[in-house]
Amino acid sequence: MSSSQTSHSLAFRVMRLCRPTLHVDTPLLVDPSDLLVGEDIYDDPMAASHLPRLLGSLKFQPSGDAADLGYRNRFLLNDSTDSMGLSGLLLLPQAFGAIYLGETFCSYISINNSSNFEVRDITIKAEIQTEKQRILLLDTSKSAVESIRAGGRYDFIVEHDVKELGAHTLVCTAHYNDGDGERKYLPQFFKFNVANPLSVRTKIRVVKDTTFIEACIENHTKSNLYMDQVEFEPAQNWSAAKLKADEHSSDENSTARETFRPPVLIRSGGGIQNYLYQLKSSSQSSDQIKVEGNVLGKLQITWRTNLGEPGRLQTQQILGAVIVRKEIDLQVVRLPATISLGRSFSVHIDLLNLTERELGPFEVSLSPDDLPEERAIMINGLQKMVLPKVEAFGSIDFHLNLVAMKLGVQKITGIRIYEYKEGKTYNPLPDMEVFVDLE
Amino acid sequence: MEQDSVDSGAQIDPLSNPFASLDSLSPDLSSLNDLAMRGAWRSILEKVSRSRSLDLLKQPHHHLTYLSFNVLALSKLRRFADANSELESLQDLDGSDYRYETYPKVYPGRSGSMVPFSLRWIHCIIPIKLGRRNEGLDRLYKLLDLVREKLEERKSNSREESLREWKRRELLVINTIIGDHLIHKEFSVCLDLIRNLLSGDCLGLDAFLLSELGYIQLQIGDLDGAKGSFSQVEGIADKEKSIKLMNLVSRNKALIYLVGKDYVSAVREYEECMERDHTDAVAINNKAICLMYLRDLSDSIKVLENSLERVPTVTLNETLVVNLCSMYELAYVNHAEIKKTLSNWIARVAPDDFDSSCTRI
Repeated sequence: MSSSQTSHSLAFRVMRLCRPTLHVDTPLLVDPSDLLVGEDIYDDPMAASHLPRLLGSLKFQPSGDAADLGYRNRFLLNDSTDSMGLSGLLLLPQAFGAIYLGETFCSYISINNSSNFEVRDITIKAEIQTEKQRILLLDTSKSAVESIRAGGRYDFIVEHDVKELGAHTLVCTAHYNDGDGERKYLPQFFKFNVANPLSVRTKIRVVKDTTFIEACIENHTKSNLYMDQVEFEPAQNWSAAKLKADEHSSDENSTARETFRPPVLIRSGGGIQNYLYQLKSSSQSSDQIKVEGNVLGKLQITWRTNLGEPGRLQTQQILGAVIVRKEIDLQVVRLPATISLGRSFSVHIDLLNLTERELGPFEVSLSPDDLPEERAIMINGLQKMVLPKVEAFGSIDFHLNLVAMKLGVQKITGIRIYEYKEGKTYNPLPDMEVFVDLE
Repeated sequence: MEQDSVDSGAQIDPLSNPFASLDSLSPDLSSLNDLAMRGAWRSILEKVSRSRSLDLLKQPHHHLTYLSFNVLALSKLRRFADANSELESLQDLDGSDYRYETYPKVYPGRSGSMVPFSLRWIHCIIPIKLGRRNEGLDRLYKLLDLVREKLEERKSNSREESLREWKRRELLVINTIIGDHLIHKEFSVCLDLIRNLLSGDCLGLDAFLLSELGYIQLQIGDLDGAKGSFSQVEGIADKEKSIKLMNLVSRNKALIYLVGKDYVSAVREYEECMERDHTDAVAINNKAICLMYLRDLSDSIKVLENSLERVPTVTLNETLVVNLCSMYELAYVNHAEIKKTLSNWIARVAPDDFDSSCTRI
């Protein structure tokens, strides 16, 4: 807070107006039966028949003039729930507090005339200044405030959606005519810092045709965040569905269940919550073979805190892994139960054409990339096998004769398909582990 | 409801009835009670000390009752360490010293504990107030176990009045536990505990508890949840029309308006409350807050000042004074002077337990 050197009649006073809080404090309130008599006295039949009347009269005195009640409300419990200490009394914000990206900054600004003279023709401006820009929140220059009497005030409330991190300054300025007619300029600055409320880490996993996005939201604020909405807004060619764990339905009590839907609360100072989305490509054309533009979409996050104080953020575009759609797939239909060292064995394989055009003929061979002496399993007999054409979306099955050269757990690896017509090479079969036994 | 007991009470000679008046329970208990009603806690300390030194307390339970007032008074005056040592002088609250059957000549035919329950409760609260929260919370949960044991015993021998008292105490302890978790923003525990209360047979769907649930949901930010809870309160209030419940409903509505930033409607609800009951301190305080959010600082100050003038005994509380001082600080350049005036007035009228630090002078 600073003001210029000249003495001023006017001064700005500022209070951040976030939502008020509900006051909570354990009250020291008692019930007469817990103070005036022993706890087991009611087991005595005579006490049980007389005490309720005697002590009840203390509790529920006929409501007369409030003054007669004294400070009984600070002494006696009216209702057992009073002992929770949540009376419903609202408390004004007591400190500026932390302010986070995505929240709304709201402030009560009062300009006070502390001089003994009337101040006239006042134009007031309030702006938010960040590192990047200046945003005008209030400007009375078109219709100046005519006058503020001695000891008087002019109040206003400004609001600003916080969209930038870092240093912010609320700049309040006033031009006015002082009591002696001198035109004066009063600038006052109120600085605050905007922090990041949460971090979002995403992981992308591709399982066959489906892309899964896992988002981990971590709360960096000092309050618990009630997650209103955490939605994935998919890019054009995608559709998204939020996946949730099955709910535990152990609680059978119906009224309680209706009253409560357990809220998604992320604990203050580092609590996390994970979300999972299933993305499907909505484009049906399989001409698009290689890559969908790899933008998957973005997360829209809204939360609420005390008395519904809202916040909202969206992430940057989330990029997916480049998805190559397969043209050719190999699937192992059958492997022999036992594989013996040096003995030929046959693997039954399906070759699938996943395109909408005819492909082939094909040549099946082992990748020459690996050194032959390191190979544990090799093709037995002819090293190249030729397969005929396969129609669009068709398949063909074949038997590949292999022989194992090493004992133990080994990999069938490097099976390669060469397509003659388009001259492409595929390595569609994932490595397969087998156990090679003696005899 | 108590008709039978009232009738039977009328037939007993008042002189031989030890439950006819407060003073027949313990010496001069009515004046202790009056002092407490007036918030004269320092006078209570004096009176207890005088009664002890003049040896006015004859029976074992007199000592316990006076000690309870003393511990409560010390706690009220925020002298928690003193309250603690006073409590510790009792040693084991479950010891035979504090049981009626230990003194058959004084209490013929009576048995059980003569410890006032509030002593056990304050025994839990003191560590919390002294900053040893875990210890206090452990004690509260242990106390809850004890209360439930007592309840089970009384269920089996059908002592109705006693059963009712212990049920009330169970609620008291659970609500205190909820309050402590609430202070530490452990909302899930609070919600679980309230869920148990609402579904259990000891309270069921209670308008006040449902409202508290709504306030907690509002604190969390669960607006839909809060609306649901409040609408259940309305359902209960529709059946049982009383000013207390009608005001509760209006105040709940006002909070929903406030959350939606419709401060004008919130103010209207609070004004209805004040028309029905001009001593509704929550409505008065909250109306002033809403006026402030409506940019009407002058009127919000007036509302609070008027209420302090009109009904100080119900509205003079620390929260309201904190609010008023915040308003002064915003409204007046010379707020220190104005707060001093307020503070002097408070010193004249406030009860002894009023925490004057709330004026922030």
